[in-house]
Amino acid sequence: MTRSHTPWFLLIVALALAAVYLFPLYWMYVTSLKTGSEMFANPPTFWPRDPNPGIFAEVWGRRTMPTFLTNSVLIAGGVTAITVILGTGCAYVLARYRNVWIDIGLFCVLMLQVLPASVMVTPLFVGFNQVGMLNYPRTAVVLAAAAKAMPFFVVLVRATFMSVPRELEEAALVDGNSRIGAFFSIVLPLARNGILVCAILTFMTAFGEYIYSKSIIQSPSLQPASVGLSGFLGPNSTDWSSIMAYSAIYVTPILLAFVILQRRIVSGLTSGALK
Amino acid sequence: MTAQIELAGIDKHYGSFHALKDISLTIDKGSFVALVGPSGCGKSTLLRSIAGLESISAGRMSIAGREMTGVPPRHRDIAMVFQSYALYPHMTVEDNLTYSLRLHGVGKAEARKKAAEVAATTGLTQLLKRYPRQLSGGQRQRVAMGRAIIRNPKAFLFDEPLSNLDAALRVQMRKEIRALHDRLGATSVYVTHDQIEAMTMADWVVVMRDGVIEQQGRPLDLYDHPVNRFVAGFIGSPAMNFMAGRIAESGNAVVLDGGAGTLPLARHVEPGRAVLAGIRPEHLVMAGDDASFHLTIGVVESTGSATYLTSPDGAFQLVQSERTTLGPGDRVGLTIDPVRVHLFDPQTGMRL
Ligand SMILES: Nc1ncnc2c1ncn2[C@@H]1O[C@H](COP(=O)(O)OP(=O)(O)OP(=O)(O)O)[C@@H](O)[C@H]1O
Ligand SMILES: [Mg+2]
Repeated sequence: MTRSHTPWFLLIVALALAAVYLFPLYWMYVTSLKTGSEMFANPPTFWPRDPNPGIFAEVWGRRTMPTFLTNSVLIAGGVTAITVILGTGCAYVLARYRNVWIDIGLFCVLMLQVLPASVMVTPLFVGFNQVGMLNYPRTAVVLAAAAKAMPFFVVLVRATFMSVPRELEEAALVDGNSRIGAFFSIVLPLARNGILVCAILTFMTAFGEYIYSKSIIQSPSLQPASVGLSGFLGPNSTDWSSIMAYSAIYVTPILLAFVILQRRIVSGLTSGALK
Repeated sequence: MTAQIELAGIDKHYGSFHALKDISLTIDKGSFVALVGPSGCGKSTLLRSIAGLESISAGRMSIAGREMTGVPPRHRDIAMVFQSYALYPHMTVEDNLTYSLRLHGVGKAEARKKAAEVAATTGLTQLLKRYPRQLSGGQRQRVAMGRAIIRNPKAFLFDEPLSNLDAALRVQMRKEIRALHDRLGATSVYVTHDQIEAMTMADWVVVMRDGVIEQQGRPLDLYDHPVNRFVAGFIGSPAMNFMAGRIAESGNAVVLDGGAGTLPLARHVEPGRAVLAGIRPEHLVMAGDDASFHLTIGVVESTGSATYLTSPDGAFQLVQSERTTLGPGDRVGLTIDPVRVHLFDPQTGMRL
C-alpha cells in the first residue's frame, strides 16, 4: 500500500467504526417515532411512515421525567463541583512538587481508576450504611461518583498544570504575589481551558451515572434519569417507542452540548495551556 | 560605599548534591556585579537564593541591611529578569508591566502612567496593547526589562537575559542594560556564562566553578592577575594558552618542554621548578631571530580586523592585528613581553 493511500484507508475504517457506534443512536430516534407494528416490520423501515412526535410530551409527563432529569442534573452538578474544586488543588500539588510521597500519591490515584464501580458499590453501600449516609442517598451517590471521576480529572488537569512554566509563577512571586495569589492570578487562568474541558467531560459522565444510583437510591423521587430508564425495562416490557422517546429526551441535551462544545473540547485536550 | 546585598557563608544542598559551597560576597549599592562560570556551576542557584526562590541550607544573607533568611520573595523587594522572560501570556504588555504595581496597591491611573513612562524608555510605546505571543524575541526581552524597572526595587537580578537573542541584538542590549543601570542608580546582579558580557558590563566579576567562588574582582584585575589556571582560562577570548615547562638555572626564564623554546620572565623564580606558563593569544608578537619559541601553523582564520592562527593540534592560538600571508605548515617565531607571562603550579593550578 502506498503512503498516500494509508490516510484514506484509515479514514474509511474510522468512518465505519463511527457508523457502527452512531447507528443505534439513529435507530433510537427513528424507533421512538414509529408505531408498534411498524417497529417489527420486516424488512425494517429506515424512516417512520407515520411519525408520532406526540410521544415525547406523553412520555415526559407519564414517566415523571422532570423529576428524573432534575436529579440527574443535581447529581452531575454535585459530582462536577466536588471533582473540580478538590481535583484542581490535588492536580496542582501533584504537578508542582516532586518527591517519593507525591509519586506514591499519584500511583494511588491511578489505582483508583482501575477499580470498576460495580466492584466498589457493595463496600461503599455497607460503608454509607454504617455512617448513616443512606438517609441522604443523592449525596451519597455524589460522593461515590466524585471519587470515581476524580482520578481521570486529576491526571488530565495535572498534565495541564505541568505545561504552565514554573518560571511564570516565580516571576509572580518576585513581583510581589503570594503563592496562593500567584496560583489564582497566573496559573489558574493559563490552565483554565484544560480544567474547563475536563469539567465538561466529568459532568457528561456523571449525567449518565447508573451503577451507584441504582444501588444506593431506593426512592423513585430521588433517582436520576438513568435509573428511571431502567424502570421501563422489565421482562414483559413492550413499549419500545416510549423507551426510545425517553432515551432521546435523556441524551439529546448532552449530545447537543457535546456537538456545540466539541471544537473546544478537542482543542483543549490536545493543545497545551500556552499558545 | 554601603553594601546592598551581603552573603556570608551560603551553602545550598539539593539532597546529597552540594550546589553552593560557602559563598561569601558583598555587593555594593549601585554596583553591577556579574556572576560567571561554566554551565552547572551554581550561578542560577545563587541568584535564585538571593531572590528567595530557593531556600539556603546554611549561611546568612541580607539585602539593604535586612536579614533575609526565611523571608519570602515578595517581601524582599527585588526584581528579576528570567532567561525565558517569563512574561504572563494571558496579559497584555501593559498588564505585564503593571502587575507588580497593582499588587502593591498602586491605583489604576497611576500604574498606567508609570507603564507609559517605562514603555517610552524601553521603546515599547507602540506595543502596550499586544500580548506576549505577538512580540519578537527582542521585544519580549524589553518587556521583561520594563517589568523589572517599573518599580524601584532594592536590586535587579538577571539570569542570562540575553542568551535567547541574536548576536547583534545581544551587543546592543548589553549597552542598553548597562546604561539603564547607570541611569537608575540601581544595584544589579547579572548571571551569564559569557565572559565577554561579564567583562564589558560589570564593575565587579565573580567567577564560579562547582559551587565555589574561584575569584572575584574588577574585570581587568581578573584579566591581568587570574589567581588560578581555571580563571586564567575562563576570562579572555580566545582563551589563554598553557605550556608546560621548567624554570631555568638562572631563575628568570621558562624552558618549555619538548624543546619548544624559552620564555623570558620579568622576575626571579625558584630554579628547576616545574611550571605551567600561561600566555594570552593577543600578547604574542611575531619575531625573527630574537624569537623565544617557534610555532607551526595549522589553521589561519581572518576576520578582517584580526587574524587567528592556530597550531595543528588546536592547542595553541595567537591573534595578530596585522594581516598575514602565512599559511598552514609555515613556522613562525614568537616573542612575548616578560611581564605578560603568567605562571601556574602544574599540580594545584594556583598562580605562582
Ligand atoms: N532542583 C534541583 N535539584 C537537584 N539539583 C539541582 C536542582 N537545581 C539545580 N541543581 C544542580 O545544581 C547545579 C547548579 O545549577 P544551576 O542551575 O545553578 O547552574 P548554572 O550555573 O545556572 O548553569 P547554567 O549556566 O547551565 O544555567 C547543577 O549541577 C544542577 O544540576
Ligand atoms: Mg542557569
